[in-house]
Amino acid sequence: MAELKISPFRKTRVLQAQIDELLDVVSQAALAYKHAIGHYIRHGWDATAEEKFEQLNAFEELGDTLRGTIGQSLFTEMLLPDTSGDVLGLLGSLDRLLDDMQHSLVVVRIEQPEIPPEFHAGWLECVALAADTVEQVVVAARCYFRDPRATRDHIHKIHFYEDETQRTALRIIEQLFQSDLPLDRKLQLRGHVWLVDRVADLADDAGDALAIYAVKRSV
Amino acid sequence: MGLTFFVFLSSGLLLGWSLGANDAANVFGTAVGSRMLRFSTAAAVCAVFVVLGAVISGAGPSHGLGQLGAVNALGGSFTVALAAALTLYGMTKLGLPVSTTQAVVGGIVGWNLFSSTRTDLTALTRIVGSWVAAPILGALFALVLYRLTDRAIRATKPHILWLDQWTRIGLLAAGALGAYSLGANNIANVVGVFIPASPLGDISLGGVLTLTGQQRLFLLGALAIGVGAFFSRRVMMTVGKHIVTVGPVGGWVVVIAQSLVLLVFSSQSLQALIMRVGLPAIPLVPVSSSQAVVGAVCGLALARGLKGARQIRWSVLRNIALGWVATPAIAAAISYFALFFVQNVFEQPVYQSAMVAAGQ
Repeated sequence: MAELKISPFRKTRVLQAQIDELLDVVSQAALAYKHAIGHYIRHGWDATAEEKFEQLNAFEELGDTLRGTIGQSLFTEMLLPDTSGDVLGLLGSLDRLLDDMQHSLVVVRIEQPEIPPEFHAGWLECVALAADTVEQVVVAARCYFRDPRATRDHIHKIHFYEDETQRTALRIIEQLFQSDLPLDRKLQLRGHVWLVDRVADLADDAGDALAIYAVKRSV
Repeated sequence: MGLTFFVFLSSGLLLGWSLGANDAANVFGTAVGSRMLRFSTAAAVCAVFVVLGAVISGAGPSHGLGQLGAVNALGGSFTVALAAALTLYGMTKLGLPVSTTQAVVGGIVGWNLFSSTRTDLTALTRIVGSWVAAPILGALFALVLYRLTDRAIRATKPHILWLDQWTRIGLLAAGALGAYSLGANNIANVVGVFIPASPLGDISLGGVLTLTGQQRLFLLGALAIGVGAFFSRRVMMTVGKHIVTVGPVGGWVVVIAQSLVLLVFSSQSLQALIMRVGLPAIPLVPVSSSQAVVGAVCGLALARGLKGARQIRWSVLRNIALGWVATPAIAAAISYFALFFVQNVFEQPVYQSAMVAAGQ
């Protein structure tokens, strides 16, 4: 440990570990979000759903802290002078994804909407696709830090998953409004579907930004 | 004699100062302009390595410059250096690219004309040839280095933070090598014309180190370049901003390529090695670091293929090439008229007839 403290590369090692940790946090948050919504659809809001919600809160807080620490280190140590803006922009997008997933789950926790069984399969698929979109952003971001040229190999997957999420969300909404549910429930459920779709939308925006950052990062 | 010598040497020191203030930017401009290195660090490293390069390896190019014309009177040396400094100042004011080497060579040719000394056409051809070779060599080095660096980065896939860290270290090392090469190659421009007329003798430093008279002269000139480096912030920022579009790693390639060009035209060991292998000898002559940098930047652009070649501003290159032709001609003219003025108005000897005759 003492050797690590006197190493001139210590700051770089610490910062790299923090960036990797933030990416891990976003990926785990996407899984927690998918499990939380899935569990709610199947079992309602119980102790397990509450536990997942707390887990997602913790990820969101950790993400905020890591983003702040990384940003501060980049500026105070004058690191990555040519790409620090892009890196901070990317970290900001990842943090917004955490915020949005948490927000989506907060609304479910407060409103606890009753989702009719005929919509369960489509709803689960939509949430899983949104989580996959976020996971692909994390994969592309990891690639950006090591091999920018290969980033585009992952970005097209982000677009694919976002398209699929949107298609599924629209299908659910169409079915909702064709059903016999009262209008207030239709509107409430539509709002929840949009919240899931919004996570994928934000992930897609992050993917677009990442594509530009990757092109800028050339020798 | 001592004081007179230093008064005359002042024009050479002024030339050294301006060379430091301008050419340090070629070495560290990319690193400072892109905020990869602090200016104070860059200037300090530059000053130290310029002095080391000049004192240890400065003899070769100075000998090459001496073959062009041995300015044998202090008044002449003073005037030639002053003519070069005035040319540089005027060209900078006009916004034209400057080369200290070309200004000094022009100044010496002006002295040769004034003192009716025959200009050694072989030496002149060698020097002018190196001006063509330096940018071409710079482009070639940059092209090869870019390809190798790009391949190495693709193969190792370093994390962006480690790439940044290694680039900083690389820029510092490349800058140190560049400053050493600048000192070794360009010290001839600064005090080369004073060598034949210098009264400085050998000196022993505590019995540990002996400096020859020539090395003492080089040390003085190098200190002037080193001091000049601390005044190069603005030029460094300008060069850095112009070259920064190639990125820090590209900047590293440019600095290494330029340093290698200067080293090739300075290193006596390298010349001996090349001759041992049976290849034609590389002339040890002072070359312009600006020319090498321009060549290296073009090489870097060409390494990116057609897309890179389209990014080259050919009109700017044409202006730079015109500046390379104009600088020695203007310096020769100023030197000729200034020598006439110094000799006839201030009544200072600017050449020694006997030696001139012997030279002929």
